[in-house]
Amino acid sequence: MAGRGERRFLKNMPGWRASFNPWILKLPNNPERLAFVLHRVTGILLILILFLHITVTTTPATRGWEFWVEEIRKAQGITPVTVYFFIFAGIAIFHGLNGIRLLLVEFLGCCVGKPEKPKPPYISATLKAPQRTLLYIVFALWIILWMIAGYIIFT
Amino acid sequence: MVGYSRIQLWQYITAILLIFLLAWHFASRLPFLRGVDSFAETLAPDKVYEDLGGASGVLALALAYTALFHGLNGLRGILLEWLGPSRKPLVNTVVVILFLVFAGLATYGVVGITKP
Amino acid sequence: MAQALKSAAKYPPKTVRVKIKRYSPETGREWWQVYEVETYRGMTVLDALLQVKEKRDHTIVMRYSCRMGVCGSCGMVINGTPRLACQTQVSMVASEENPEITVEPLKNFPVVRDLLTDFTSFFEKHRKVKPYLIRRDTQEQENPKTEYRMTPEELLEIYPYSLCISCGLCVSACPVSASDEGFLGPQALAQLWRYTADVRDEAWRERLEIADDENGALKCHFAASCSAVCPKAVDPGGAIQMLRSALLKYKLGLWKKRKISEPVPPLEPTGEKVPLPPEAQTLPGVDLEAMEREPVVIDASKLLD
Repeated sequence: MAGRGERRFLKNMPGWRASFNPWILKLPNNPERLAFVLHRVTGILLILILFLHITVTTTPATRGWEFWVEEIRKAQGITPVTVYFFIFAGIAIFHGLNGIRLLLVEFLGCCVGKPEKPKPPYISATLKAPQRTLLYIVFALWIILWMIAGYIIFT
Repeated sequence: MVGYSRIQLWQYITAILLIFLLAWHFASRLPFLRGVDSFAETLAPDKVYEDLGGASGVLALALAYTALFHGLNGLRGILLEWLGPSRKPLVNTVVVILFLVFAGLATYGVVGITKP
Repeated sequence: MAQALKSAAKYPPKTVRVKIKRYSPETGREWWQVYEVETYRGMTVLDALLQVKEKRDHTIVMRYSCRMGVCGSCGMVINGTPRLACQTQVSMVASEENPEITVEPLKNFPVVRDLLTDFTSFFEKHRKVKPYLIRRDTQEQENPKTEYRMTPEELLEIYPYSLCISCGLCVSACPVSASDEGFLGPQALAQLWRYTADVRDEAWRERLEIADDENGALKCHFAASCSAVCPKAVDPGGAIQMLRSALLKYKLGLWKKRKISEPVPPLEPTGEKVPLPPEAQTLPGVDLEAMEREPVVIDASKLLD
C-alpha cells in the first residue's frame, strides 16, 4: 500500500501465468498462442524428463544389468512405466513438430504474411498465411503420431 | 557484448540436429525395425547394448549433449524472462552445473557400459 | 472490423452493465465497479464509458481523443480482449443474454489510475529503434531538393507497418511482454523492421544490432497475439519474423539490404503535352489553346461588384 500522499503505479503484468494459460486473454483467431503455450510447457517437461531419462538409461553402467532387467519388466501392458513412455512420446512429438514449424517461420522467415494493403475485415497477413495451415498440419500429425506411438507402446 | 543471435543460432542448429537424432532414437524403439515382437523387447539388455555400445554410443552421446544444450538453453531463456536480468549470473551458473552433471552422467552411461 | 460493421447494424440490449476495473494510486486499492448504461444503436464502448463519466461518476479516469480509431488512445481490455474502445460496438460485446461488459486497463502497462495506463516505457522503446530515416548524406537529407526514389512495390514492403497508431494493444496481448519488462515489444520491433526494410534508409546494420540484443527480436516466440489484436492489421508478428530471419541470416553472412534508393534527379521540362482523354469535353466557348497562349486574368474587383 502506498504511503500518505504517495502515488504508485500499478504493475499490471500477468507474469509467468501468460506462459501457461493460453486463455489469460480472449484472443480471437489466434491458435498460434495455444501452440506457443504448448511448446513452452512441453519444452519445460522435456528437460525434466531428459534428466530422468539420462539417470535411468545410465543404470546398466551404474547399477548393473540385473536392475535394468527388473525395471523393464514393468514396461509391458498398461503400467505406470508405459503410461510415462506414452506421455513422453506425446510431449516430444508435439515439441518436435512445432519446432520444425518454428524453424521455418522464425529462422527462414517463410510462410509468414507478406506485406499487403490492409482492407476489410482487417486481418493481419500472417494470420492468413501458410504458417496457419502448417500449424493445423502440426496439430493433426501430432494426434496421429501420438496414437501410433500409443499403439506401439501398449501392445 | 556478444550478440544474442549467436546463442540463438546454436539453439536452431541443435534443433535441426535433434530432429535427426531423435528420429533415430525413436526408430530404435520400433519393434519391427529391431526384429522383435513388442516395444518392451526393444528395451532388452542386448538391444540396449547395441544402442549404447560401439558406434551407436557416439550417436547416443551426441543426442544427450545436443538435447541438454538445447533444453537447458531454452530453459535459461524462459527463466531469464520470468526472473529478470538481475538473476542472470545465478541462472547461468545453475544451467552450466546441470549441463556438466548430466553430460557427465550420460558419458559414464555410455563409456562404462558392459556387455550383458 | 467486419464484425463491427455487422454489429453496428443491430441493436444492443436496452441497458448494459458496464463493469469497470478501478485503481486508486493513493491507497493502492483495486476494485470492480458496475454501472447501468442505457444504450442506443451504434453506441460504442467509449460512448458508454463517457456516458458513465458524464451522468453517473465523474471520477472515472481514462484516455481517449479522436473517437474514430485513428489516435490509438483508448486501448482497453474489453471482455478479456485488448481493443480500442471507440471501435468496439456495444452490440459486439454485449447481448440480451449477457448484457455485461467488463472494461480493464491494458495489460503489461503500469496503471496510473482506473483505465489510464502509462506509456512512457512504450515510447522509450519505440525511440530506441530509431524510428526515422537515416542517411549517410545528412546534408542532402536536411536540405532536400528532390525526394528519394521509391517504387509502389517498394512502398508496399513497408506500408502496412507504417499504419501503426501506437495504441499498445499488441504489447498488451504479448505473452513475453507479460513477464519481461525489458523486452522491446511487438510495436517497437515492427517499427524497427519497417525502417530496416525501407529502401530510403541506410542504417540497416545499426538497426539489426539493436535487434540483436537480449531484449530484441530473438525474444519473440511467435505467439502472434500481437497480430491477432492489431486494429490496423499492421501484422507486428509477421514483421518480427522477417526481422529475426534477416538478422540471423545477416549474422551468417547470408543477408544484406538489396537496395538503397537515391534521390530522384530534378525533373527537366520536356515540353511534352499530356493530351486530354477523349471523353473530356470543354465547356462551350472555352478555347484551351488560346488560354495557354494568353492566360486568363480575372479582375477580382469586378467580381465584387
